[in-house]
Amino acid sequence: MSTGTSRLSVPALPDRWRTLLLLLPVLLLDIGAFLVPMGYLLRLSFTAQTSQGAFVEGSWSTDGYQYVVSSDLVHQIFTFTVAFGVGVTLLAVAIGVVYAYAAWQAERAGRIALLSVAVLSLFTTLVIKLFAVVLVFAPQGVLNDLLTGVGLLSEPVLLVDNLVGAVFGQLYIVTPYAILAVYAVLSTLDRHQVEAARDLGAGRWDAFREVILPHIRPGIAVATVVSFTWSIGAYAAPLLLGSGGEQTTGILISELLLTQFDWPAAAALAVITVTLVFSVLMAILWRFDESGGILNA
Amino acid sequence: MLEVDEVTARYGELTAVDDVSLTVEDGELFCLLGPSGCGKSTVLRTIAGFEQPASGRVSIRGTDVTDRPPHRRDCSIVFQDWALFPHKSVLENVAFGLKMQGVSTAERQERAREALDLVEIGSQAEAAPAELSGGQKQRVALARSLTVDPDLLLLDEPLSNLDRRLRESMQIELKDIQRRLETTMVYVTHDQNEAFTLADRLGVMNDGELVQVGDPATVYDDPGSRFIESFLGSTNFISCRVVAAEGQPILAAPFGVQFRAPIGGEPLAQGDTVVVSLRPERLRLGPGAEVATTAVEDGGVATDEVSVPCSVVETIRRGSSVRVRLSAEETNLFIEVPVGDGVDMTAGDTVALRWTAEDAVYFAETGERYR
Repeated sequence: MSTGTSRLSVPALPDRWRTLLLLLPVLLLDIGAFLVPMGYLLRLSFTAQTSQGAFVEGSWSTDGYQYVVSSDLVHQIFTFTVAFGVGVTLLAVAIGVVYAYAAWQAERAGRIALLSVAVLSLFTTLVIKLFAVVLVFAPQGVLNDLLTGVGLLSEPVLLVDNLVGAVFGQLYIVTPYAILAVYAVLSTLDRHQVEAARDLGAGRWDAFREVILPHIRPGIAVATVVSFTWSIGAYAAPLLLGSGGEQTTGILISELLLTQFDWPAAAALAVITVTLVFSVLMAILWRFDESGGILNA
Repeated sequence: MLEVDEVTARYGELTAVDDVSLTVEDGELFCLLGPSGCGKSTVLRTIAGFEQPASGRVSIRGTDVTDRPPHRRDCSIVFQDWALFPHKSVLENVAFGLKMQGVSTAERQERAREALDLVEIGSQAEAAPAELSGGQKQRVALARSLTVDPDLLLLDEPLSNLDRRLRESMQIELKDIQRRLETTMVYVTHDQNEAFTLADRLGVMNDGELVQVGDPATVYDDPGSRFIESFLGSTNFISCRVVAAEGQPILAAPFGVQFRAPIGGEPLAQGDTVVVSLRPERLRLGPGAEVATTAVEDGGVATDEVSVPCSVVETIRRGSSVRVRLSAEETNLFIEVPVGDGVDMTAGDTVALRWTAEDAVYFAETGERYR
C-alpha cells in the first residue's frame, strides 16, 4: 500500500510513519492488555516470599522458580496437566472433525440441528454447564438412571468425581469451539472435489483422507490451538467434576495464591505454563504455515 | 454401451428428470443439450452415481449399475469447475485415480505423464492447480479422468468457463482426442454450437424431459417441436391464420400474404393459428420489383415460392455475416447473409423477401410440430 500519495488534504506522511500510525490502536491494546500484565507477572515471579504478605515488593529472588523446579508435587501436577491438556485436545479435535463432517454431509435440516446444538451449549455459563454435566453423569443422574432402567447396567457407574468426569467436563467446554473451527473451513470445500475423488475410485475413507483432510487442516490447527490452550489452563472442570487426584496447575496456582499466599511461586508456575503454551502454539502455527496454513490465509 | 432406462429423478417435490431413456453406442460422443435447469446435469450425475434415481435403471456395458456407488462404476466425470485437488500437484491430480486402484508410484507417475502429454500440458506436471489458467485446468481435469481409462467419460459443461476462442479450439481438440482414444463420451452443454461441433448424436432436453434425439443435422432440419426450433438457433416465428382448412391448408400471414402450407392430415379449422418458423438462412432477398413479377397463382395464394415486400430497417455487420432487419407491414423479420454476397442495402430500401413453403417449419400454438 505504498502509493506515496495523500488522501483528503492530510499532508503525505512517510510510509513508515503512516504504517505505524495505523498500527497504533492495536499496539496500544497489545501493550495494555498483554505486555503490561505479563511483565507484571514476570516481575512478580522473581520476588521473594514472606510469611506476612503475598510477596516482598521490590525484592529479587528465584525462590518461586526453585520451588516449582524442586517440588515433586508440582512435577506431578504439571505432568498430569499436560497429559490432560493433550488428551482432551486430541479427543475434542477428533470429535470436532467427525461432528463437523457429519453436519456437512447432512441434509439442510439435519445440518442446522447439529450446528444449533453445538452453538447452543455456548449460551450457558461455565458453572451451569458443568452442573449440567453433573446432573447427567452423577450416580443418580439421568444417564445412569436410563442405563439401569433399561437394564444395560445392574448398578450405576461412577462417571463424576474422577478422571472421566474431569475429561467429560472439559470436553463439554472446548468441543463446540473445535466443531465450529473445523466446520467453518469445511463449509468452504467444493463438493465437486469430493465427488471427483469418489468418481476416480476413492471410497468414503479415501476421499476423506485425500481431499477433505488436507482442506480442513487450518480448521484442525485452530481447533487444536483453542482446545489445548483452554485445557492446559483447565480449572473449573477438574475442580468440580474430578476428584482430588485430578489436580491441574490452574488449581495449584489458585491454591498457592489464595491459601498459601505464595505469590512468587504462583507467578513462576504461571510464567512457565504460559511459556509452554506459547511455544506449542507457535510450533503448531508454524508447522501449519509451512503447509499452506493459516498465518497466510 | 450406456443404457439409461426410464430414469426419473426428484429433488423433494421437484421432478428434475422425467422418464428419460437413452442409449449411447460404443465410441460415440453423445451431447445432452438444453437450457439451464432442464435436468441435463442431473441425468449425468445419475449416470455417474451421485444422484439416486426415484425410478429407472442405468446400465454400463450391460451391467446394471443403478445401485452401485460412484467409485464402483467404470465412468469418470469432468466437472464444469474442473474440481482439481488444490493440495496436490498437477501430476498427483492426474495420478489420483491410479493411486486409488493401488498402482505403484512409479507406474502411475509414468501413466500420468503420458496423459498430460496427450493433452499437451506435460510441462506443467509439477505446478499447483492454482498456478494454472482456466484452459490448462481444463486439460488437467480431462487428463485426470482419462488416466483411469474409463469405459465412459462424462463431461458436464467443461468448456463453459473458457472464453470463446479457447472454447472453440478446445472443442476441436476434444473431438480429436475422442476419435483417437475411441472413448465413449456423454457431453452436457447448453451451447448449441458446441453440441453441433462435437456431437455424433445429440439429445435435446427441456423441463426434465428428453424431447428429441438424433444426429445434429436431422435435429436441426427436422425439429420435433417449437421449443427445439427456437432453442437450436435464432429464427423468425410468424403467427398465421388458417383461412382454408381442407387438404393442404391456406395460411394468411399478418403482412397480408396468403400461401399454401405443405402440411396435411392435421385437424385444423378455419381461424386456427399456425406458427411458421422461417430460419434466416433459408430466406432470400431480391430487388423490390420482383414482388410484382412473381407469378401468383390460384387466386392470390402462393403455392410454392412465397414473396413478401419488405422495407429494410437496418443492417448489422456481425463479423462474417450481415444481419438485415426487415419490416413487412409492422411485422419484424430478419435475415442473415454472408458478407460480400453483393448485399447493398440501406435503411428504407424496399426488397422482396422470398422463401419456399417447403423450407418453412410449421407448429401449433401449443408448440407441437405440424407435418
